[in-house]
Amino acid sequence: MSIQVVIKTINQMQADGVIDRYAIGGAVGATFYLEPVATLDVDIFVTFCPEPGSVLANPQLIFDYLKARGGTVEGEYIVLGGWPVQFLPPTGPLVEEALAQAVETDVEGTPARVLTAEHLAAIALQTGRAKDKARLLQFIEAGVLDAARFQAILARHGLVDAWQKFERQFLSEGP
Amino acid sequence: MSFDLQKIIESKRARRRNLAARPIAEKLRMLDALRERELAIRGRAVHSDSSAVREDPAPYPTKPK
Repeated sequence: MSIQVVIKTINQMQADGVIDRYAIGGAVGATFYLEPVATLDVDIFVTFCPEPGSVLANPQLIFDYLKARGGTVEGEYIVLGGWPVQFLPPTGPLVEEALAQAVETDVEGTPARVLTAEHLAAIALQTGRAKDKARLLQFIEAGVLDAARFQAILARHGLVDAWQKFERQFLSEGP
Repeated sequence: MSFDLQKIIESKRARRRNLAARPIAEKLRMLDALRERELAIRGRAVHSDSSAVREDPAPYPTKPK
């Protein structure tokens, strides 16, 4: 079981032209900035390469490519290196921006594209489940967010009210 | 060893900072180990229709129409 196998496989898939670009999100992405965050799967945001002669992207190409290289399909996941991996298209402006501004990090000689800490935190705020709020608190407590950059993302994507509510709920000193 | 809550909390923070500062490859190997441990605890029968244990997908918002 190895996340590095997942990263190498996706890099190869990108080099082979199956996907346009990718970035690691979710708990695995957060682990690039925080202490390891236990998770059961890997979220990969991708933009697809349209098939020749078509303007539509086809996620089946990803599954076919990976199945031919030992991946096994489990519902909406494909299992690589023992990890269930979910490929997520950028379904909103925030994730589109996050994917476009993702950063490349070296993992023992292997390049890995990862969402920025500020985008991961903003996506956690927008998604809003209990575990997303816990992750957002981890980002804040760890002091890894660039405050100006984070606030600009919140403003661009209509998340200022959600942030103020979050601040009142979790960051307020008073009762 | 101390039962001073403030010291305990600060010790936990320091431990987390220390873990966060480790090389990324080491942290990813920790994720591999954490997942293997979680699978062992949950047992593979949790999802009887599948050989892979996984989380519910995050409800990422859809593109406004």
